[in-house]
Amino acid sequence: MINFKKDFYADVRIEDRFSTDVRFLNGKLSESKERLEKRAFLRVYDGKMWYYSSTTDTEHIQKALDELYEVAEPNPDIENDPVVKRFERNKDHLRSFKDNSVRNISISEKTELLKSLAPVTSMEECMSMPIGKYLDRNSLYEFKSSLGADISYDYQTCGVVLFCDMVEGEKKFSAMWQEGDTDFNSLKTKTESAESEFKEQVEFMRNSVPVEEGDYPVVLSPLAAGIFAHESFGHKSESDFMLSDESMKKEWELGKQIGSPILTISECGEIPGTGYTPYDDDGTKARKNYLIKDGMLAGRLHSAVTAAALEEGVTGNARAVDCTYEPLVRMTTTYIEAGNESFESLIAPIKKGYYIKTIKHGSGMSTFTIAPSVSYEITDGKLGRPVQISVITGNVFETLGLIDGLSDTIELKSFVSGGCGKMEQFPLPVGFGGPYVRVSKIKVQ
Amino acid sequence: MEKEKLIWKTNEISLNVTAGKIDSYRRTEETKNTIRVYEDGKIGIAGSLGEIDEAALTESAKKALSYGIEYPCELHGNTINADDAHEIILQKEFIPKMQEFLDRITKECPNFTVSDKIKLSELRHTYENSKGAHLFSSSSWLEFSLIFQNKGAGNLFDASYEGYVGEFDEDAAVRDCKLLHDSFYKNTDIEEGVYPVFMLSEVLLGRTIDHFFANTYASGASLLSGKIGEKVFNEKFTMYDDRSHLTCPPACVFDDEGEFAPDFKQVFVKNGVLTNVLTNKMYSKTFSLPSAATAGAAYDGVPQFTALTCCTEPTASSAAEITKEKAILVMMASGGDMTPAGHFATPVQLAFLVENGEIVGKLPDIGISGEYFELLGKDYLGTAEKAFFPSLRNSYMACRMKVTK
Repeated sequence: MINFKKDFYADVRIEDRFSTDVRFLNGKLSESKERLEKRAFLRVYDGKMWYYSSTTDTEHIQKALDELYEVAEPNPDIENDPVVKRFERNKDHLRSFKDNSVRNISISEKTELLKSLAPVTSMEECMSMPIGKYLDRNSLYEFKSSLGADISYDYQTCGVVLFCDMVEGEKKFSAMWQEGDTDFNSLKTKTESAESEFKEQVEFMRNSVPVEEGDYPVVLSPLAAGIFAHESFGHKSESDFMLSDESMKKEWELGKQIGSPILTISECGEIPGTGYTPYDDDGTKARKNYLIKDGMLAGRLHSAVTAAALEEGVTGNARAVDCTYEPLVRMTTTYIEAGNESFESLIAPIKKGYYIKTIKHGSGMSTFTIAPSVSYEITDGKLGRPVQISVITGNVFETLGLIDGLSDTIELKSFVSGGCGKMEQFPLPVGFGGPYVRVSKIKVQ
Repeated sequence: MEKEKLIWKTNEISLNVTAGKIDSYRRTEETKNTIRVYEDGKIGIAGSLGEIDEAALTESAKKALSYGIEYPCELHGNTINADDAHEIILQKEFIPKMQEFLDRITKECPNFTVSDKIKLSELRHTYENSKGAHLFSSSSWLEFSLIFQNKGAGNLFDASYEGYVGEFDEDAAVRDCKLLHDSFYKNTDIEEGVYPVFMLSEVLLGRTIDHFFANTYASGASLLSGKIGEKVFNEKFTMYDDRSHLTCPPACVFDDEGEFAPDFKQVFVKNGVLTNVLTNKMYSKTFSLPSAATAGAAYDGVPQFTALTCCTEPTASSAAEITKEKAILVMMASGGDMTPAGHFATPVQLAFLVENGEIVGKLPDIGISGEYFELLGKDYLGTAEKAFFPSLRNSYMACRMKVTK
């Protein structure tokens, strides 16, 4: 029972996190651990300043909260503060993973799954130094606020990541495959692609040629399209970057045409997967948000603080990487909506261009950058030789306007390694995806 | 049975800045504990948060031996006491002093809006083992992670003032922010071609550090595989992981296996000769690699390897000593990478034109590229110590690179 004081806004967020980490290196077990961590993050707001405390001593939350009250100033009008007025007073208790929690699956069963995949990282002579990782997480979240919000929900991911180095003479390549899910038994059925993807990477290592630098039409896979949506525009939709500059609101006026008319980018915390956030860390319920609809600026992502500052509504995007940090405005699952073409019809009109299948990383500011891993030439409307590309890059808004084709189905990706980084907080699990996306011109290096 | 005990204590105050004003205060005190036990070539590990219960943790570590994780037990009985924690700013003065600093930046840099974080931190790290080792490292630092938005430009951020200092010189910091601001609004241009490019070492070395990973080196997949002991780079090029509190206050002087390097600088390349790679005791033994003080570990995990920094040894005290030619200073370069064959390329989001070692003005968006062994070989020009923005004490390495628009 937490006693909240009058004349302040306060909330308490507690995460009880279970995680498993099993690793093999070169055929030998190199890590095997289950971790249980319980942390709390407390916030007190007096209308002028926020006061935060993070603690692992969850038995004495009241004491930590009272210490924050002591440094804040009482504000009898706190409930009329524009930030406080935007906090929702939800009461809900969701358990999506009660019957299939990874807490109840033995570490030996998880280790066996990883062992069963080991042969695919050593099936060819050129493969060496295989690394396998099994990672999972089950979290129980509780959120209580001085306004009466009382929420609990669970979150779960599990996944496998395989790496190996490939070397043949002077030809070298670091190969990787990963798959994630929210259910262990479902994960076990999704490992079939590992063998074919490692074989494809062997062919890439053997036959790939350096790219001819220049501006070309490029087709992005659903994975690359998802990263592009996240990096190129998702981060620009996080409205905390608008707080520092009054003129930004005019610059980012909703309804403004900012991309190709066929482009719609959406964001939603309700989608199962790594970006699942049914309630954010302000206690706001998730909803579907359009960032771009038919090429026009349709919305932006908010916490209660940014929504109040910009006089807009909350969107369910106040997220912290864990209970060590305060929430920032972050994405959940971000994706480009489907169009009406097939992959074949997207590449058919391209005389010379490139298809980006897998990627190593991406980033985005005024320009976006994606570092491709496996990529192919497109010549006279057909896929050709594999190519080595360091980066593809372009001005964000120019590139959004150059999208001229979308395939008719989307794929959403959930990965268990890595995540999104912002300021000091990394890695935040997010989901992303989209259809195959054709861009008429991107700088390829 | 041999045993290691590690304790990390972190104390941090973090201020959030929005539009030049401090709007939140966060205090974090955290203690992490590790017990590792070794028996019959196996390792058992247990970790906890908060005050340590050594007996209980040791029992848990003993039980973890049953996982059967092989790990060499090579413990030493060394002693170190690098007790360098000190008061940079009185805690009760932290908010007003930082707000005063922010107000001065806002006044001197009128077209920038300032946001993000300022942190005051202290780390105390202890390592002990059953061979009698007792290592202690403590340090304090002030961390600036200030991002600047060009008012009205609509970008996430346009420039930044980021780094760690062990002492705070407010006047020097304001001067550097003003130089950054004034240079930002002097537009210049440059033709495509090959130019000396100054950059923080992380721009190039951070993106290519995986070629120094022990497993990648041993598998043959690294561009450096098999080259330890060989001269592979320019005579002037020396690269190390800096754990000295004098130059890297956030570092712990020893690694997470209780190893430490001379002067707390683990050298990987000495005068162009590859001398070592990133490793730990297990990798060194398995792949017959030289030992290095580069182990890193989660508080409840098997040691891995890590580099805190990738520094290049300064060869000059100023940029002008390296070159007086027309050159480029890379301020923000996000998203670059290298192909397996060694072609490095990165877009540059903020670059300044430099002449006679001084900043002239801002360049439009450019791309820089080059071949790995050439960039650190014939095209490596040297490293300038504390150049351009001296308040952050950063060194800038310089290479000749292809510049495109």
